[in-house]
Amino acid sequence: MATHALNPAASTYARGGLYEWLATTDHKKIGIMYVVNSMLFFLVGGVLALVVRTELATPGIQFLADERVYNEMFTMHATLMIFVFIIPMLAGLGNYAVPLQIGAPDMAFPRINALSFWMLPLAGILLISSFFTGGAAAAGWTSYPPLSGEGPLNSPGSGQDLWIVSLILIGTSSILGAINFLVTIFKMRAPGMTLFRMPIMVWTILVTSVLVLMATPVITSALVMLFIDRNLGGHFFDPFAGGSAVLYQNIFWFYSHPAVYVMVLPAMGVISEVLPVFSRKPLFGYRAFVFATAGIGALGFSVWAHHMFTTGAVFLPFFALLTFMIAIPTGVKMFNWVFTLFRGQLTFSTPLIFALGFLTMFLIGGINGAFSAAVPVDFALHDTYWVVAHLHYVLFGGSVFGVFAGIYYWFPKMTGRMLDEGLGKIQFVLMFVGFNLTFFPMHMLGLAGMPRRIADYAGDAGWNEWNIAATVGGFMIAASMLPFLWNVFISLRNGKVAGDDPWEGNTLEWATSSPPPPYNFDSLPEIRSERPLFDARHGQTAH
Amino acid sequence: MTADSHALTTAEHTPIAGLAHDARGGISNPILGMLLFLTSEVMFFAGLFAAYFNTRAANKPWPPTEFEHILNPFSLILVATVILVASSFTCQMAIWAIRRNDRRGFIRNIGVTFVLGVIFLLMQVYDYSLLFDEGMTLGSGQFGTTYYTLTGFHGAHVFGGVIMLGVVLYRGMSGQFSARHHDAVEAASLYWHFVDIVWILLFSILYFL
Amino acid sequence: MSSTPRKRPASDALVAGAVVAILVALVVAVFLTGAGNSLYPPAAATTQGRDIRGLYDIVFALAIGIFLLVEGLIVWSVIRYRRRPGDIELPAQTHGNNVAEIVWTVVPTAIVLFLFVISWQSLSRVDAISAKPDIRIHAIAGQFQWQFEYLDANGTKVATQLAPAYDTNTGAGGMAVPVGRSVQVTLDSPDVIHAFYVPRFLFKRDVVPGQTNRFEFTVEPSEAGQVFRGQCAELCGIGHRAMLLSVIALTPADYDAWLQGLIEKSNATPEPLPSGTVLNVTAEGVKFDTAALEVPAPPGITHDVDIRDGGGAVLAAKDTIDGGTSTNYSYEPMQAGTYTFFCSIHSNMTGTLTVK
Ligand SMILES: [Cu+2]
Ligand SMILES: [Cu+2]
Repeated sequence: MATHALNPAASTYARGGLYEWLATTDHKKIGIMYVVNSMLFFLVGGVLALVVRTELATPGIQFLADERVYNEMFTMHATLMIFVFIIPMLAGLGNYAVPLQIGAPDMAFPRINALSFWMLPLAGILLISSFFTGGAAAAGWTSYPPLSGEGPLNSPGSGQDLWIVSLILIGTSSILGAINFLVTIFKMRAPGMTLFRMPIMVWTILVTSVLVLMATPVITSALVMLFIDRNLGGHFFDPFAGGSAVLYQNIFWFYSHPAVYVMVLPAMGVISEVLPVFSRKPLFGYRAFVFATAGIGALGFSVWAHHMFTTGAVFLPFFALLTFMIAIPTGVKMFNWVFTLFRGQLTFSTPLIFALGFLTMFLIGGINGAFSAAVPVDFALHDTYWVVAHLHYVLFGGSVFGVFAGIYYWFPKMTGRMLDEGLGKIQFVLMFVGFNLTFFPMHMLGLAGMPRRIADYAGDAGWNEWNIAATVGGFMIAASMLPFLWNVFISLRNGKVAGDDPWEGNTLEWATSSPPPPYNFDSLPEIRSERPLFDARHGQTAH
Repeated sequence: MTADSHALTTAEHTPIAGLAHDARGGISNPILGMLLFLTSEVMFFAGLFAAYFNTRAANKPWPPTEFEHILNPFSLILVATVILVASSFTCQMAIWAIRRNDRRGFIRNIGVTFVLGVIFLLMQVYDYSLLFDEGMTLGSGQFGTTYYTLTGFHGAHVFGGVIMLGVVLYRGMSGQFSARHHDAVEAASLYWHFVDIVWILLFSILYFL
Repeated sequence: MSSTPRKRPASDALVAGAVVAILVALVVAVFLTGAGNSLYPPAAATTQGRDIRGLYDIVFALAIGIFLLVEGLIVWSVIRYRRRPGDIELPAQTHGNNVAEIVWTVVPTAIVLFLFVISWQSLSRVDAISAKPDIRIHAIAGQFQWQFEYLDANGTKVATQLAPAYDTNTGAGGMAVPVGRSVQVTLDSPDVIHAFYVPRFLFKRDVVPGQTNRFEFTVEPSEAGQVFRGQCAELCGIGHRAMLLSVIALTPADYDAWLQGLIEKSNATPEPLPSGTVLNVTAEGVKFDTAALEVPAPPGITHDVDIRDGGGAVLAAKDTIDGGTSTNYSYEPMQAGTYTFFCSIHSNMTGTLTVK
């Protein structure tokens, strides 16, 4: 191997100054910056959620100035969590893992990769700055017109415009990132790494990238039209000048339903890496899992109107049928995960515990979603707290737990040091209990008729107890971040040294040093299955 | 299809080699990247077209009688269309030239393409000024909103394409392209053809349908 | 399949089985003791709502079954298959099992198709619209107030109910409907999207500007005398949470009397502002031709009238005023132009103020 001359130092992290991070095009550093940046906005979005929960703890407008501020809080909470936390966070984990897992030296377009990243903090700062320039967007993260249009009672001021501009920026970042992932995955796989030997994480990123590529430009078009309506006198969504308010919803959800999979598929990829490693077994039904992932992606484009069942402008049976159908590939995945555990040898390290959290809560989030696919039941549940419960079981119970599984799993690779197991378990317990205390009662609130997005409710509506429970749970989730942050802080300084392969991993990233050198590999093991390192450790016969 | 496609790599895999070039042969990274980018552009215009058809179906008569005369295809707009279509041909001739290493032919043709693109843009600006004089703006009902949005976004894409062609022309004149190495030219020409196709669609839908 | 898993103690299976059994028993106990009632919607008050409730119960039963099955498997595996110090040999490397995978594709498909068919059937009943309903009501949802127009068989308005929420003390307000009769509601919005939502109907429908939505319901006869709480369920701005409404279920005889009273009240006071009507007030210099703007409305409804310029900036505003009373506005001299004044509680109450 003549490549050693090109990789003189095993690690450049030690002498990497701030400039090196700012100017880097190394996918590993960019990936880490994605993760750190997303985590910062997760904290900001979390604070906004606490404001919302505090206001709702008891009836009455307690401490916010008025409802406009309340509307800003939940609008910005959702916007930050979806667009500046969860989507970039998963893209960041992918950015770090994908080239390593397919044995590539970097992403296909390293400079575009850096560009994609730097758009994100810019967009996030723009969003937050709108609080200080006359009020943030307050029409909900869905920003339905006419409410998101001009007008003293609708969305006057620049907050909504900044929101539009930020989302277009983030969308562009996502599209460039998706192109980068696809070219990397199609063109830069190591010899022997056929498509059906790729780790599931890579598969989920591949499907996610296709979704981003096809869906994100569509929301960009909707945002552009909204901007034209607001600022240039256009009438696309103005029902009083021949436009259509429902048109926006159709275009918006054409993106935003696939976006749900953008927000959850890579997290499924993470736990599909974690479960086999900590069970010492291969993923049960690898091919079925891949087809199920692709199937979810394809179906994802034909169910958008299930968010619009109550608009009276949707062909209900078609969208109901396809929405139900999504349960089938999702169920396949669930059983594949469970039967990966079955008859394994489970080691309860923190990544596995978070992955088990994912399984349990994504199970609930999948089941309570099926209620809304039954259209008449959705007439009762739509726009109530039931929906808030459902989406958090999928996006927090699912994606966020998956994200933490991924962080605990790859932190040793990223930094060369292990995170503390004890603190990790404390974080998990706080987060798991807090999460269920916050969001399970929201099922009851929704059934009892509490609509979402209201700043206040009557004291005799019967919603008081559940709201207090949810608020207490919310603060527990917030508390769970303290052991995590402390854990990162102390582990970076004197955590246990990880070594190349602390978990007995299956995939190529564990074949190089921790942290890996620039361009990742000095040499690669032979790739004859989806678990090249397992083969190297136990030999082909172990199959 | 590209001139510099590689054979599949041998067992001696060097990571660095993968950085500069694709390791797996076939279509080159920049061209694949551009094709994927164009896919996303198709979806963007699909969103705008969907809005156009939805709006048009809900507003009768279409076009509104006051603006009917604007949609006369046999006017300046036809000349602009011919110019843009012609530029696609000159662009392709430039590609053929560089593929057989004819650098002069390449520069001449890419130069002509660039100039035709600029002329198209100028004509669009002139056309807009005529419409403004008649009092048609973005706010002139659904017709004004959709007309300016669709043609405006197409114009912005032509503008982007002209800049791309300018860069290619500059790099070509400083001798950076050869028959073996001209991925950037191929990518730019794909983009230019795409912009041309969008215009043909736009022209037929707005003016003839 | 070269390696054979180490034999595990039988007690493991016992413990794991016991934990799963306790889990199932707990869930069953929750529902048997009635503690699980909060996981059901409130008792449905309409025929359509009962239909939806029937569907909910089926979906819910399947949901609990599937949850217990999968969660039981997870818990079982976690307890039974934890790695022991002696586990050096690999467990059996199972890559899949075609029979199992076909089963867990086919069975969910069957469940899902069944759910689709029953929900489609239910939908066709819940969404049915009759050509000749017994009662017709036109509901107008504007920022941030409901208004109910009672129509006769020809669709002509006979009376308007401006107080959408029921006042427990005076017994005034609310949208009254007779039990046992079919009520058809048409929904219109003069501004943004709202949604008509009454939890005990298990139903909501969006109120979309530029599109008239329509639904029908029949309140069960046993509900006569009940008042159902409802509110706007689609975010519509700063007054969203205050867009409350009540539906009052009356016996047909009581309803007829109630409607007669409403008609008389409507005739006694000037016609309320129909939606979209524009008042034109002209002013010379800084003097209006009308010194006071009169807002005709029965007592009990509050208004909040502002005068704003084209950009929405407030030029003159007062605290809310009660219907039937009057208030004076003072304002800085305005530049020539067109201004709007409107009631921010009833956005369809608006007018233009022209300063020459
Ligand atoms: Cu969806
Ligand atoms: Cu409302």
